[in-house]
Amino acid sequence: MAFQIESVVEDKVAKLTLHGELDSLSARVFQTEIEKIAGKEIDSLVLDMEELNFMSSAGLRVLIYSKQKIGPKLSIYIVKPQELIVDTLEKTGLQHSVTIVDQFPV
Amino acid sequence: MESKSFPGIVDSLDSLREYIGELAQQAGLAKKPTYNLKLAIDEIATNIILYGYQAAGMEAEVVVLSEITGQELVVILVDEGAKFDPLGKELPDSDYFSKSLEDREIGGLGIFLTINGVDEFSYQYSEGKNRNKFVMKIAAT
Repeated sequence: MAFQIESVVEDKVAKLTLHGELDSLSARVFQTEIEKIAGKEIDSLVLDMEELNFMSSAGLRVLIYSKQKIGPKLSIYIVKPQELIVDTLEKTGLQHSVTIVDQFPV
Repeated sequence: MESKSFPGIVDSLDSLREYIGELAQQAGLAKKPTYNLKLAIDEIATNIILYGYQAAGMEAEVVVLSEITGQELVVILVDEGAKFDPLGKELPDSDYFSKSLEDREIGGLGIFLTINGVDEFSYQYSEGKNRNKFVMKIAAT
């Protein structure tokens, strides 16, 4: 399924809604969005993954990149990720660096 | 074995995953092993396409060989890129996974997810081709 992303920045919160499948092709689009918001003053990155069906390590790399680019104080929230994506986050230890939530604001 | 070829470009990953999904369905794999196999194959195919082909300026195909027996689904990715054994690289260890995101070096995650997600993974180089083999056990019903 084609990857789509929508991005809204408001009150230091960047909310990105991801749809479809995140692989090494679509990760470029995701990374470009991160680069765009990195220039703004934000303290929270909210990634709505309810409609995301697949995420490879290329997607994980963009999560790592976000923290490195925007700064260690950035809080990353992942809203409603699908079970198999949570699996990947857990296997790779990334669940310790992000907060998985059912909604945002929490 | 069945054989299907894909152009060695990242745009092929989507249709490659779809094809793997069809094979998994024919083999009767459940949702989770299906996802893990798609992920494993996506990771290895990405390496082949980006490093084996694109970085080397090569245009070639990725060939998917597959076979379903009563007990397992076997998928082999065959490519003509330079010899590369994914198992030859050091995998991230527990030290890596305990690091915070900002301290992590990037890399190795894809191969870790590959090995972790399939029942068997092996690599062979023969006749000038890389062969990455994935095996999923089919649960008895």
